[in-house]
Amino acid sequence: MSLSLRDMLKSNSLLSGTSACPGCPENMAMRMVGMALGNDVALIVIAGCSSVIQGLAPKNSYNFPVLNIAFAAGPPAASGMWRAYRQRNKNTTVVVWAGDGGTADIGFASLSGAAERNENFIYICVDNEAYMNSGGQRSGSTPFGAYTSTTPEGKKENKKEIMFIMMDHNIPYLATASVGYPHDFVNKLRKAKQIFGFKYVQVLTPDPYGWMFDPSKTVEVGKLAVQTCYWPLIEYDNGKLTVSPESLHCLDRSTRRPLKDFLQIQGRFKRITEEEYKALENYVDSMWEKIKKLMK
Amino acid sequence: MKIISGNEAVALAVKLARVGVVGIYPITPQTSIIEKLAEMKANGELDAEIIRVESEHAAMASTFGAAIAGVRAFTATSSQGLLYMHEMTWWVAGSRVPVVMVVATRAVGAPWNIWDENTDFMSERDSGWLMAFASNPQEALDLTLQAFRISEDERVYLPMMVGMDGFILSHMKTNVNIPSQDDVDLFLPSRKQPFVLDSESPVGMGNIFPPIEYMKLRHSIHEAILHSEEVIRKVGIEYQKITGINNYSTLNVKYKLDDADYAVVLMGAWAGDAMEAIDELRKQGLSVGLYRIRYIRPWSEEEITLALKDKKAILVIDRATSMGRGGPLYLELKSTLHHEQMCGVISGLGGVLLNKGDFKEIISRFVERAKQGNAKGITWYYPKGGEKIELKSPRYVEE
Ligand code: SF4
Repeated sequence: MSLSLRDMLKSNSLLSGTSACPGCPENMAMRMVGMALGNDVALIVIAGCSSVIQGLAPKNSYNFPVLNIAFAAGPPAASGMWRAYRQRNKNTTVVVWAGDGGTADIGFASLSGAAERNENFIYICVDNEAYMNSGGQRSGSTPFGAYTSTTPEGKKENKKEIMFIMMDHNIPYLATASVGYPHDFVNKLRKAKQIFGFKYVQVLTPDPYGWMFDPSKTVEVGKLAVQTCYWPLIEYDNGKLTVSPESLHCLDRSTRRPLKDFLQIQGRFKRITEEEYKALENYVDSMWEKIKKLMK
Repeated sequence: MKIISGNEAVALAVKLARVGVVGIYPITPQTSIIEKLAEMKANGELDAEIIRVESEHAAMASTFGAAIAGVRAFTATSSQGLLYMHEMTWWVAGSRVPVVMVVATRAVGAPWNIWDENTDFMSERDSGWLMAFASNPQEALDLTLQAFRISEDERVYLPMMVGMDGFILSHMKTNVNIPSQDDVDLFLPSRKQPFVLDSESPVGMGNIFPPIEYMKLRHSIHEAILHSEEVIRKVGIEYQKITGINNYSTLNVKYKLDDADYAVVLMGAWAGDAMEAIDELRKQGLSVGLYRIRYIRPWSEEEITLALKDKKAILVIDRATSMGRGGPLYLELKSTLHHEQMCGVISGLGGVLLNKGDFKEIISRFVERAKQGNAKGITWYYPKGGEKIELKSPRYVEE
């Protein structure tokens, strides 16, 4: 599927006047959803920044029908919704849009339930690695060593890797993406749209405020996460795991860009010690070992 | 006419209502409703999507998602399950979307108890749902069918729950009159709702409301509940046309009440035992009648006042508690009537069974106190000399 920049810019899933912070990665990702999926989309937004970004009712800055809903209710509401559309002979693509807190923590049981039932919708986890909308508290998805408002000493546990857990659900399609690489994200969503059943897409959305970097650098940080192999771009299609071109260099440790380049550009890792840095590096190594194993 | 349980009656009503999506999750004693629906689906008798969700929270959310996307939706629950969905019951009501749910009532833990009590149901009074309560399997079927019509009325557009006493109605079998599909189709037109969320009408639902708009929405729910009273009476009369059952032109139900000096007020299945007790007490010359509350929301101030205002004294029997106060039914009545002589009895919690003899005892004691002008306050009634629990003396925990 080839995709030109001109095609992508035609879409206007994001109308002007959102309440997002400058440099907001969720806004970028939302625009890419429109580029990928077109207009026949029904969006379910669970509690998070994106419930606020769309603005005060009766206005709505997303150019989709949107159902806002409480944390754990996204996946079951989407289950009800696509089945209702099927009863009404409509082919609308149902999308759940949830943050990492709603995905890895409070909403996990319902996410897992919908995946197990192979419900026909796309679940997008917008992963900014903390509860940003309530002021940047740690979530299950926050990485080791990161400062958050509830881990002022740096998080002592590793990131909960939802992508691997979701792979174990044997769903038909899973992908990771980064707002640093729009083409890759859009292509993956387009592919997801063609597949019947449960699709899980986790997009890394570096948050200038929670991660403490300059708002002009969102894309750069999103790219660095991939280049340093902190964030793998992968695809799991019908039981087969592939590494996306942007991440292929990570399969070999010697071609990886140093993790420091990713950590240094942000404030949230300011306080990590050399020892903790090593631990984080080891963690990234182990993740790639796991990916290699799963590729076989 | 067929001999079926309350749960089967509900399942039949759901099928007759041509429901599009059912979110199902098992919990005692509601489970046989969803089992029956699954069975009907497997047999090809039911043309609905059944979603076998992973929790009651999800059951309510999936039903909500389907309803907002434009189809008739149903779920059922009990006890802890209802409490677990509580967040979503508010979400559904706040969205002004018609949804129907049946609650087979059951006590709430701790400690575990699977038997009947109405506290789960009564704890939803503030959520914005219409709430009816059945007293036999026939009523469970009738009220479930009517609930679809009422909740989809444009003066209402609110979800509605129908309660029935767990095990006592859910599992007890009696003769039930089942209307034909043709008749139900006449009674229940195709679904109407204020907002349908689909790509033809890209509205946003549930995003942040400014304070004044939020308050206006809450106000609209309040008004819709008030207006539903008239709708309920009209729907009740329409229902009579297809079934011949003529007891739905009022919200609540009287039994030997008009000429009685003393009134007993309660809701649910034990109305049967209370009526038998009243029959016998009447033979003994006690002028007592029964008023059965069928609708908690709307709460018909007018009907209730008219029925009870001239009574010398009123006894309210609750199968639920508002801890530290009286029973919820008692409190509701108290705020309606301001009657000098009104007392409350709390009993039947956690499945404690009361028989005709118990009701005779409770009611004659009440009449005696009323005659002395002393029918006031709340008592907890234990049949056959049960005793209340005393906590142990305090234990200091060493650090
Ligand atoms: S806190 Fe982060 S995710 Fe939330 S609106 Fe601001 S930039 Fe976007």
